[in-house]
Amino acid sequence: MRSKFAPIAITAAAASLVLVGLAGCSSGGTPSSTDGGGDDVTLTLATWRTEDTAMWEDEIIPAFEASHPGITVEYAPVGTDDYNAAMQSQIEGGTGADLIMCRPFDVNRAWIEDGYFEPLAGTDAVKSFDETALAAWTDVDGNPFCVPIASVLAGFYYNTAIFDELGLKVPTTQAEFIDVLGTIKDSGKYTPLALGSADGWQLAYNVLYSMGPNYWKGEDGRLGLIDGTQKLTDPDFVAAFQAFADLKPYLPDGYESLTYEDMMQLFTLGKAAIIPDGSWDISAATATGLDVDVFGAPVAEAGDQRYQQEMPDQGIGMNAKSTHKEAAQEFLDWLATPEFQSLYVNKLPGFFSMGTEAVTYDNELAQKFADLKTDAKLTPRLALDRLSAGTPPLDDEIWVALQNMYNSGLSAEDATAELQAGLDSWYKPAQ
Amino acid sequence: MTSLNKPSRADAGGRLVVHVALILFVIVAIGPIIIVVMNSLKTTPGIFNGPFVPPTAETFNLDGWANVFKRGNFALNYGNSIIVTLVSTLLTLVLSTLAAFAITEYKVRLAPLLAGFFIIGIMLPIRLGTVPILQTMVAWHLVDTLVALILVYTAMSLPLAIALMATFFRRVPTELKEAAKIDGAGELRTLSIVLPLVRPGLAAVASVTMLPIWNDLWFPLILAPSKENQTVTLGVQQFVGQFQSDYPALLAALTLGALPLVILFTVFSRNFIQGLSQGYGK
Amino acid sequence: MKSTARSYRNLILFSAPAFVVYAGFLVIPLIASVVLSFMDSDSGPTSVFVGFDNYVYLFTNPSTSERFWNALVNNFEFFAVHLIVELPVGLLMAALLTSSTLRRSRGVYRTLLFIPATLSVVIVGFVWRLIINPLWGIVQFPLLGDANTALPTIALMSVWEYVGIPMIFLYTALIAIPDDVLEAAKLDGANAWTTFWRVKFPLIAPQFGLIAILTYIWTFNGFDIVYALNGSAPGPDYSTDILGTLFYRTFFGSSGQVANPDLGATVASVVFFLILIITAIYFAVVQRRLKSYEL
Repeated sequence: MRSKFAPIAITAAAASLVLVGLAGCSSGGTPSSTDGGGDDVTLTLATWRTEDTAMWEDEIIPAFEASHPGITVEYAPVGTDDYNAAMQSQIEGGTGADLIMCRPFDVNRAWIEDGYFEPLAGTDAVKSFDETALAAWTDVDGNPFCVPIASVLAGFYYNTAIFDELGLKVPTTQAEFIDVLGTIKDSGKYTPLALGSADGWQLAYNVLYSMGPNYWKGEDGRLGLIDGTQKLTDPDFVAAFQAFADLKPYLPDGYESLTYEDMMQLFTLGKAAIIPDGSWDISAATATGLDVDVFGAPVAEAGDQRYQQEMPDQGIGMNAKSTHKEAAQEFLDWLATPEFQSLYVNKLPGFFSMGTEAVTYDNELAQKFADLKTDAKLTPRLALDRLSAGTPPLDDEIWVALQNMYNSGLSAEDATAELQAGLDSWYKPAQ
Repeated sequence: MTSLNKPSRADAGGRLVVHVALILFVIVAIGPIIIVVMNSLKTTPGIFNGPFVPPTAETFNLDGWANVFKRGNFALNYGNSIIVTLVSTLLTLVLSTLAAFAITEYKVRLAPLLAGFFIIGIMLPIRLGTVPILQTMVAWHLVDTLVALILVYTAMSLPLAIALMATFFRRVPTELKEAAKIDGAGELRTLSIVLPLVRPGLAAVASVTMLPIWNDLWFPLILAPSKENQTVTLGVQQFVGQFQSDYPALLAALTLGALPLVILFTVFSRNFIQGLSQGYGK
Repeated sequence: MKSTARSYRNLILFSAPAFVVYAGFLVIPLIASVVLSFMDSDSGPTSVFVGFDNYVYLFTNPSTSERFWNALVNNFEFFAVHLIVELPVGLLMAALLTSSTLRRSRGVYRTLLFIPATLSVVIVGFVWRLIINPLWGIVQFPLLGDANTALPTIALMSVWEYVGIPMIFLYTALIAIPDDVLEAAKLDGANAWTTFWRVKFPLIAPQFGLIAILTYIWTFNGFDIVYALNGSAPGPDYSTDILGTLFYRTFFGSSGQVANPDLGATVASVVFFLILIITAIYFAVVQRRLKSYEL
C-alpha cells in the first residue's frame, strides 16, 4: 500500500515526540473507544446520504442486526460536499469508519490505488452482481472493491395537471419536446422548464448526460471518447450540446442564479410544468401532493433507438484498516442478498437495485422510472469514467461549459472544441 | 462617558441622528435573522410563496420544529459545543495572557523572535494540516474526544490572541509596573496588578476566539465525529442534508444551532465589555 | 535592573504553555503538510522528492495556472470589497456607539449589531440567497448568477456577517481613549466631527491598521462563505473561485475530481507566502509610522 501522506506520518510522529519532550507530562491519554469485552462488535458505516438516516436507522440496520446478533451498525453520515475530504483525511490519518460508501469511477479508483479498501474478489458480497454492475468500483484490472448498492436514473418529471389543462402529449422526439415547451410558454401561465444554471453539476447530470446519449449513441460515444476513436468535436456530440442549448428560451427569468433546490420549489409549487431531474428526487417532487409523472429524454428523430442514463451511484466497501474485518464482511455479504436489495429500493424510492434478480417497486413513480429502461439502451454519465482522472477533469469542465452556454451564449461548437482541447492536454486514450 | 453639560437643542438633534443611524444598521443586521426564525414557523409553500410575509393561519406550521426535536439530539450537542467553546476560549485567554505578558515584559533578544513566531500563526491555513493533526491525535489516543478539539482550537486561536494581548500590554504605563516591582511584587503579582488594565483586550480576544470555534464544522467532522461527541454545528449540518426538502425543519435546526452563541455573547458582552471603562480608573 | 538570565527564564516559563500547544498542534502539522508540496506521490510506488517541480507545474501548466491567477484576482476583489465597505461601516458603527448621547441603549445596540457575526455561514448563505432570489426575493436581477456581480454579492454577504468584528475592535479602542484627552479637545470648542477625525481617529489608527491587515489575512484564507453558497467549484465560470476554494478542491478533490494533495499543498504554500509578504511589508512600512501617534 502506498499513501499520499507517507512523508507526513513521520513528521507527525516527530510532532508527538516534541510534545512529549516539552510537556514532560505523564498523561497517557485515554484509549480510543474499542469494543467492550465479549464478541459484540460495533461497525460504523460512513456515507454521504444524510437524507437517508431515518431509513437506515429505523428499517435497514435493524433488519441486519436481527439476523446477525452481536453486531451493531452505526450509520455515520457526512454531508456530500465534505464527504471525500473527510474520508481521505480520516483514512490517511489512520482512523475512519469500518464500512465506507464508494463514489463511482475515478474518485474511487484513486482510493483503491491508495489502498483504502479491502479487496472483495471471490467473496459472497460480489458474487451476485455481473461485471457491468461492479464496473464503477473496480481497480484498473477489473477487481471489485465495493458492493453495488444502487443506481439512479435521469428523466423529465412533469406536472400532469398542467399537461391536461393545456392538452399536451408526452413528447418522444426533440421536435415534439420543443413544441410542448413552446405551447407552455405561449400559455403565459407556467414556466415551461424548472431549470436554472446556478448549479453546474445538474446541467450535466440531469440534462446533457440525459439527453445527450440519444445523440452520441450511449456507450458507443462514451467508450469512443475513452478509447480515443471519437472526439467531443464530432457531429454527434456537437448535436447533443446543441439540443441542450435549444432549451434555453424555456428557462424561467433569472435562471442564472436559480439553484437546484429553487428549481424543485418552482416545480412543486405548481409554477413550472417540467423539471429535468434524477430519480433520487422522487420524494421531493411529490412532497406537496402534486400529481407527477415522468418521461425519458426524447430522441432526435422519430424511430431512433432510445438511450437511458443509468448511473451507478453508491457502493459500499471495507476500510482496509478496519479492526472488525469479519463482521464487516458479514455486513457486505448481507448487502448482496435479495432481502437487503428489495428492502433498500422500496424504502428509498428512486434508487434501483443493481443485482441480477428482478425487483418490483412499490412506489408508483419509481416503477415508472424503472419502466423507462425497458425499450432503451443503458449508459452511465458521460465523463466520470477515466476522463476525469487528470487536470482539468472533463466532468468539472463540462459543468462550467454548460453554464456558459446558458449564461453567456457559448455555442455548442466552441464549447465542445474547448472541452476536447482540455481533455487532449492530459488524457492519453487507453488503447 | 457622561457629559456634565445640560442637553442643548443641538445635542438633541445629534442624538436623534445617532439613534436613527443605529436603528437602520440594526434593521439590516437583524432583519435577515428574523426572516429565518419566521419562516421556520411556516409550511414549505408558505415560505416560497411569500418569504417576507409573517405566518398566517394558512401557512403557520410547527412541524419543522417537531421534526428537529424528534430526530435531533440538541441537549447532548449543546453540551459538547459549550464545553469545547468555553474551555478553548478560557485556555486561549490564560495562555495568551501569560505569553503576551512575557513577550512585552522581558525585553531580551528572544522576545521579538518568539513574538514573530506566534504572529505567523495568524496567517496559516489550518486545514492544510488536517492529516498530520489527526495523526498526532491518534498517537496521543485523543481521537474522538473533546480534548482533541480543545487542543486544536486553542492552538488555532493563540496567535491572534497573543498579538492582541501584546498590543494591550504595551499600552500599560511602565510606571505602574515599576511601582509594583519596587514594592517587591513577584512576576505573577505584577501580572495580576496589570491585568485589570488589559480587560478590554481579554474581552476582544474572547469574542473573536469564540465565534470560529462554535461555528467550525471541519474539525468536529475529522477529529470527533461520533454521536456522543457531536457538536451543534456538526449536528445541524447533518440535518441540512437530511431535510433537503423540509425547509421549515432546516430553518428550525439553523435557529437552534445559532441560539446558544447569541445568548452566550449577550451574557458575556454584558459582563466583560460593559465593565471596560472601569478598567481605566475614571 | 534585572539580570538577563532571569528575564530569559521568565520569558520561557511564561510562554512555554502557549508555545507547546501552538507548535504541537498547529505549526508542526502544517510544516508536515507543506513538505508535500516538494513531493510527487502520484507517479511511482513511493513519494519522491521533486524540489520545486510542483510550483513550476502550478504556474506553467495552462489549466492550473489559469485557475490560480483567476482565484488570485478574485481574492483581491473579495478583499477590496471588505476594505472599502466593511472597515468604514465598522468604524462608523463604533463611532456611533461611543457617541456621548447614548446611555442605556448602547449595550443593546452593540449586542444586536454583533449578532450576525455569531452566525454560521450556512444561515448567512441560505437567508441571503432567499432574499436576493429572482423568483421569490426582492431583486429581479440574478446577482449570484452573473459572472460580474456574483463575487461582489458574496463579498457583501460576508461583510454583513463580519462587520461586527471591526466594530467591536474599534469600539474597544475608542472607549480606551482617556477622558482628559477628549475634555481638552472639547475645551478647544471642536465639534464632534472634528474631534473624531483630529483627536480620536489618530489615536486608534494603529488598531484601524491592524484590523485592515487582519481583514487582508482573513479574506486570503477565506473559504467558508463561498463554499457554503457555491460549493468547491464556484461559478458561474469560476467567477467566485478564491484561493481557499481552489486549495480545497485541489487538495481534497470533489465528488467528480480526484484529490491531488501535492498540488494542493503547493497552492496553500504559495498563498501563505503571499499573505506573509504583504503583512511583513505592512508592518515594516505602515504600522511603524502609525505607532508614532500612540500616547
